[in-house]
Amino acid sequence: MKSIRFPRSPKVILGLCIVGFFVLLTIFGPYLAPYSPDNTSFAPNLTPSAHHWFGTTSLGQDIFSQTLVGARATIVVALIAGLVATLLSMVVGIAAGYVGGFTDDGLSMLSNVFLAIPGLPLLIVIDSYLPVNSRSNSLVIGLVISLTGWAWGARVIRAQTMSLRNRDFVEAARIIGEKRYRVMFFEVAPNLLPILASSLLFTVLYSIGAYVTLAYIGLTSTSVWNWGTMLFWAQGNNAPLSGEWYWFVPPGICIALVGTGLALLNFGIDEFINPRLRAAGLSAKQRRSLGLPRRQRLGLTPVVHSASQRPSTPAIASNTVST
Amino acid sequence: MRIIGRRLLLYVLTAWVAISVNFLLPHLMPGNPIQTLIGKLQGQVTPQEIEAIRLSFGGGIDKGLLSQYFTYIDQLFHGNLGVSITLSSPVSTILKASVPWTIGLIGVSTLLSFLIGTVSGALLGWTRGSRLDALIPTATFFQAIPYFFLATVMLLIFGSNLHWFPVLGAYSQNLHPGWTWPFVASAFRYAELPVVSIVLSSVAGWMLGMRNMMITVAAEDFVLMSVAMGLSKRKVIMTAARNAVLPSIANLSLAIGLVVSGALLVELVFNYPGVGDLLLNAVQNEDYPLIQGIFLVITLAVLAANLLADVVYLALDPRTRTETVA
Amino acid sequence: MDETRTKNRILDLRNFSVDYGWGDGAVRAVDNVTMHVDRSTVVGIAGESGSGKSTLIYGFTRLLRAPGVIAGGEALFNLSDASASEGNFINLVTATESEMRRVRWSNISIVLQSALSALNPVLRVRAQFDQVLKTHRPHMSKSQRRDRTIELLALVGLNEDRLRRYPHELSGGQRQRVMIALALTLNPSLVVMDEPTTALDVVTQREIIGKLAELRSQFGFAMIFITHDLSLLVELADEIVVMYAGTVVERAPAQTLYDSPRHPYTLGLLSSFPPMHGARTELTGIPGSPPDLSDMPGGCRFHPRCPYAMERCARETPPLAQVTNESRSVACWLHAGDEDAAVPVELRRVGVERHPPLGAENAEGET
Ligand SMILES: Nc1ncnc2c1ncn2[C@@H]1O[C@H](COP(=O)(O)OP(=O)(O)O)[C@@H](O)[C@H]1O
Ligand SMILES: [Mg+2]
Repeated sequence: MKSIRFPRSPKVILGLCIVGFFVLLTIFGPYLAPYSPDNTSFAPNLTPSAHHWFGTTSLGQDIFSQTLVGARATIVVALIAGLVATLLSMVVGIAAGYVGGFTDDGLSMLSNVFLAIPGLPLLIVIDSYLPVNSRSNSLVIGLVISLTGWAWGARVIRAQTMSLRNRDFVEAARIIGEKRYRVMFFEVAPNLLPILASSLLFTVLYSIGAYVTLAYIGLTSTSVWNWGTMLFWAQGNNAPLSGEWYWFVPPGICIALVGTGLALLNFGIDEFINPRLRAAGLSAKQRRSLGLPRRQRLGLTPVVHSASQRPSTPAIASNTVST
Repeated sequence: MRIIGRRLLLYVLTAWVAISVNFLLPHLMPGNPIQTLIGKLQGQVTPQEIEAIRLSFGGGIDKGLLSQYFTYIDQLFHGNLGVSITLSSPVSTILKASVPWTIGLIGVSTLLSFLIGTVSGALLGWTRGSRLDALIPTATFFQAIPYFFLATVMLLIFGSNLHWFPVLGAYSQNLHPGWTWPFVASAFRYAELPVVSIVLSSVAGWMLGMRNMMITVAAEDFVLMSVAMGLSKRKVIMTAARNAVLPSIANLSLAIGLVVSGALLVELVFNYPGVGDLLLNAVQNEDYPLIQGIFLVITLAVLAANLLADVVYLALDPRTRTETVA
Repeated sequence: MDETRTKNRILDLRNFSVDYGWGDGAVRAVDNVTMHVDRSTVVGIAGESGSGKSTLIYGFTRLLRAPGVIAGGEALFNLSDASASEGNFINLVTATESEMRRVRWSNISIVLQSALSALNPVLRVRAQFDQVLKTHRPHMSKSQRRDRTIELLALVGLNEDRLRRYPHELSGGQRQRVMIALALTLNPSLVVMDEPTTALDVVTQREIIGKLAELRSQFGFAMIFITHDLSLLVELADEIVVMYAGTVVERAPAQTLYDSPRHPYTLGLLSSFPPMHGARTELTGIPGSPPDLSDMPGGCRFHPRCPYAMERCARETPPLAQVTNESRSVACWLHAGDEDAAVPVELRRVGVERHPPLGAENAEGET
């Protein structure tokens, strides 16, 4: 078995740091918050200061505390939605790709239909009919989001499964009479790991966007603090036009940072799946010291003049260029 | 053509699913939202309007689900999407006024964004390893910013602080809508900032996708052969780009859905009088007939855009067109 | 080099080396190769897959992609035409991008193994020719280009109704013919073919080889023809170069090499393929597999697989040396002395009629 070497590019490391930071925030954020996010006892509209790092809302709440507390709901819902959606796309994708025939036709049609329906409007319609008490339930919201976010992954996984289906080890398992679901989930699925990981990152990314958007337009319970609700209140109190940037910028930046972290991680997975995307692995400095151009141009293979070459066959008096 | 036929079938099916979801949701959700709605409306609107709303949901609940379903579909084909509760006029009338704004805004920004993103992504992929690579993390960051947040920031900086662009609305309030020069000019002025902000939000996606495809295609033999043939650098890049753009177009269906979703919220931020703004007002007022009507219209528009993308794809990739092989 | 030889030489590779990777991670895929191609001659390069044939030709045409780099040597290419009184050489290794562009396709054209992947999938056959002609013959009118394309297609035996086809609409043989026609568009002096027939069935393969021989005598271009099938080369090539693990191990006129190989590796290669004419015989091939580039055996690179290996072979690398009194070279210690006595009978220079007996002999003796 090949050992898995995850590309260790600066992009991936940065991504890991960002995502790691927000995971810690999800776990510890609520304990670190200096005040309760609902506490309205401060002076309204304070600009950032030592007491209130991110200032206060026009209702006199501490924005820094809201941001810290809001991390948890935002990320937990996105994780639930991402995991459920990935699981769904895995089941649908593998079944369609492995079983083939009518199953494939049916499931592919289903994913294509879900792919063609614009996700957010569907989400809004479903959500607007949800009873108010369900809207504060992370699990319900997560499930609804996952319903609109699984189709893309299913399509990618199906394609990959089809290419795996006829490989030797799968054939072998089939021939010795393994049960179909066992072949699918114990032989095929492990080989889909990179694609599943990429699909998980994407659906989590999508889910953060979807959840925050729902909260922003007031479709989740306003009693649960998340970054979207913060933006909802900011917009509702006209913060953007009254210049209260410190109210809506922190949650917005947090959302963008989490997303950036996830996308950077995904670069690593992309390079793992598609070796053509891997960088040549030399820094600009190394290239210069070897006499290589900064980037290789297609159709102009460079010439290296390196002293550290292994001695080559002494067959013919070597007149290799030495300048 | 067979392929277009198949896609058309898919979209018809999708439209049917969307319509059915639209019908089923209010009937299946706990708490009987239709009854609640109609109860709330008693006395607020005329009995005729209540009847129209009831019909748009499929008629009386005593009729059975299936019969209600057919009534609903029949009403739909006759253009009865119900009556908006808050605006007390037919949903179809309201949509007719706002759909053109949205199509204009989203159409223009999607086109611009696709063009800019594809061209810059092609260059980025081709010059991989050069200093331009520094753009990638920035682009990734922009891709991760929610559309509405970026729009808000743009509004704050360029609209209310620097006053470079007019904000809020789609045209100057001093003008009367119509095909007059001042009005059209004003509409363009007012669309600038929303377009810029949608393009900024969506361009990174196209760019990064195109970059990956460009790198992948540049490794193909035929690109190397175009170099071996002594073609100019521009021709070589075009050879790669022409092939690399195909997957972008094939994936347009996913992308259109996302862009439309994002752009709808930008309308809200700028008070742009399109369906997005309408939808969010409807949501806040629990104006179910309007929500449903908007959902249907958006879905149909997205499906039409998908079909268009499919036709373009077919025109660009001869391999999908061939049905007879020599 | 004397005057006439200079003038008739098309390509001169001197101590040409190619690496994959840089610095400490570098592996040498082509090592100190010296060979040449004369005007209107066909040089075949043979060797197992992985012996560096493609790397060599991508290397001197500067088409090799990263991590490939040229690690030394010269590739002198003659730009003057046959009527010129003397050669006008350019070193491709140090040529600039614009110099390379002038050489490409006008002087050197290339045909790859898979025409399907070498032709732009979104262009019709006609457009593939058009883009070459537009670039290199800007004065040609649209109808002139069309006429030229039809003429070229006819040369390779294709009807003009193929003009409007896309690559995927052609059969494998037709695609390769299009590729060959494309390679001849500008009357180059050197056509490089990297296993152009390997992906084709035997019948198509024979047709195309026949066509190439015909075209060569008609137009007089020189050709480098790469294959791992030596028997194919005898028909076509004037001279054959045998490569093993990035080095040239034997070089000889085609028929000579075929009839009396000197290097044990060449002998092994010859017995890996049935002769194109004659009885089908048992194939013995060469035991073992080519060495790992990063772990090259010392001494002669072939010695671990060589049935005739001597103690010296593991220690010293045999130079590619001319065989006394013959116009051929071999890199093998068996032939280091002047005497034939030490040489196994099947590798000796005279008297042994090998075809078809080689295979038959093996079949009796070893299996
Ligand atoms: N991109 C690469 N990186 C590292 N090694 C390579 C690369 N391409 C080819 N090689 C190695 O170079 C050697 C020669 O390959 P090649 O020129 O393709 O052989 P041939 O054409 O004779 O089959 C092989 O051992 C191969 O493994
Ligand atoms: Mg090869």
